[in-house]
Amino acid sequence: MREFLIAVAVICALNIGLALLLMLAGAWISDIGDRVITINGTRQITVAGGRALLTALKEQQIFIPSACGGRGSCGLCKVAVLEGGGPLLPTETPWLTPEEQQDRIRLSCQLKVRRDLSIRIPEALFNVRQYQTEVAGIDDLTHDIKQVTLKLIDPPAIAFTAGQYVQIEVPPYTLTDEPVYRAYSIASDAAEPGRIELEIRYVPDGICTTYVHQHLKRGDRLTLNGPYGEFQLQPTDREIICIAGGSGMAPIRAILLEMARTRNPRPCRYFFGARAKRDLFLVGEMRRLEGAIPHFQFIPALSAPEPDDHWEGETGLITEVVGRHVADASQAEAYLCGSPLMIDACIKVLRDKGMAEGHVFYDKFA
Amino acid sequence: MKQSRTDDIIEARMRPGAITRDGLLGADRRKLRDILDADDAAVRRLGLSHAAIAARMRDLRDAGARGLGEPIRVDDTYEIRVDAVRGRLPCPFGHPGLFDKEFTDVLHVRSGERITFSRLNIHLVEAHGFYEGLGAPFRQDPERLARVLGLI
Repeated sequence: MREFLIAVAVICALNIGLALLLMLAGAWISDIGDRVITINGTRQITVAGGRALLTALKEQQIFIPSACGGRGSCGLCKVAVLEGGGPLLPTETPWLTPEEQQDRIRLSCQLKVRRDLSIRIPEALFNVRQYQTEVAGIDDLTHDIKQVTLKLIDPPAIAFTAGQYVQIEVPPYTLTDEPVYRAYSIASDAAEPGRIELEIRYVPDGICTTYVHQHLKRGDRLTLNGPYGEFQLQPTDREIICIAGGSGMAPIRAILLEMARTRNPRPCRYFFGARAKRDLFLVGEMRRLEGAIPHFQFIPALSAPEPDDHWEGETGLITEVVGRHVADASQAEAYLCGSPLMIDACIKVLRDKGMAEGHVFYDKFA
Repeated sequence: MKQSRTDDIIEARMRPGAITRDGLLGADRRKLRDILDADDAAVRRLGLSHAAIAARMRDLRDAGARGLGEPIRVDDTYEIRVDAVRGRLPCPFGHPGLFDKEFTDVLHVRSGERITFSRLNIHLVEAHGFYEGLGAPFRQDPERLARVLGLI
């Protein structure tokens, strides 16, 4: 019996010893020390080695757009890694075209900082910041779209261009056990940097939209980062054709509010597609903008109006309505936001009407 | 059929956090090969094939896509909405290419039954006879799927 107990004790001691050894080895191996990241050849930051590049940059307040929070499932967080990146990982290759691979583009959420790196990112990303905000209002725009008004707390203002978007951080709750980030276009006027408005359509079981529609309330704190994106009004004299559906209203509204504020004289038509009257929103505001923007026309269209709607406006798919109204788009430029299917179909209509490929600007996800 | 080493690798890709946040297996404790075999048997019992089910899914997806992101009535039987979110997904079985995160929401108007499937679901059914594990967010129960699709 005594020998048996000794044997058990020896085996336990050996196991504990091995576990400690593994822990020490793990700590020694994973502690690869600080690493230097040179950005755009001019700026250097020192980060703790071993972390994902996306995380390391975020800790230095440099935010790379990422819709999946670093899981490698959105393919957005691409960064040019000029030196030190090592070979491509199997988790990166599906997301990168042969051209991107040749240009040394990497997914920053997958690439670990194990050596000093030299990277290249758009200069605009240096303007991206993290903001603490307070929910100043949540209002129903339709049965499934809410307008969320956020008051900027720290920093107290955000500088953005009409058409850009922010990423909001959804804290852990019943549908997620870790923070999740989702992108939403800013719907409010860039001249009011102390508050922003977002228009968020409910997606059943969507982590972020469920949180916003069913949990978020006035007075809550919400963290966001931004602004991101290059969807913005181009400095030309061409006629403007805006087309949107659903929450795709958001960036178009921001652009129109700016046009009203600056009394932009460019001719502008805004086609907004919805299914029935209950899916329309901000119609009154758009009518007021028709008076505030010198040459602006708002054209809402319903694809399937209900009998009770008593709708006398345009009917049909938005592509059909645009096709009826626009005879020649060769001298115009277009701004589209909404469902990818709607955008692809509208691009085809506009191209058929003579619009040049480079004159179509779009954001497929509002 | 016995689970192979390749099946193990594919199964690992289906776990939470690999391709999608919640994974493709849900709370299903069975081996991937057992899930595939069980659903294959279920489809055979219905007198159907994976190809026929996938073809019907694709037909309804294409019909719903004509709504350009808004719900649309199809054949007076369905209300279908096709929309997408940012991002793409790879096939866990290793097929090349990526699938847009596009979702087709099908409501059978008379029965009130609703199914939602992704572009990746159509591919997984067609190419692999895979309907996801029990409890997975996009699990497509073969019998329910066939019923809503009007195949049985």
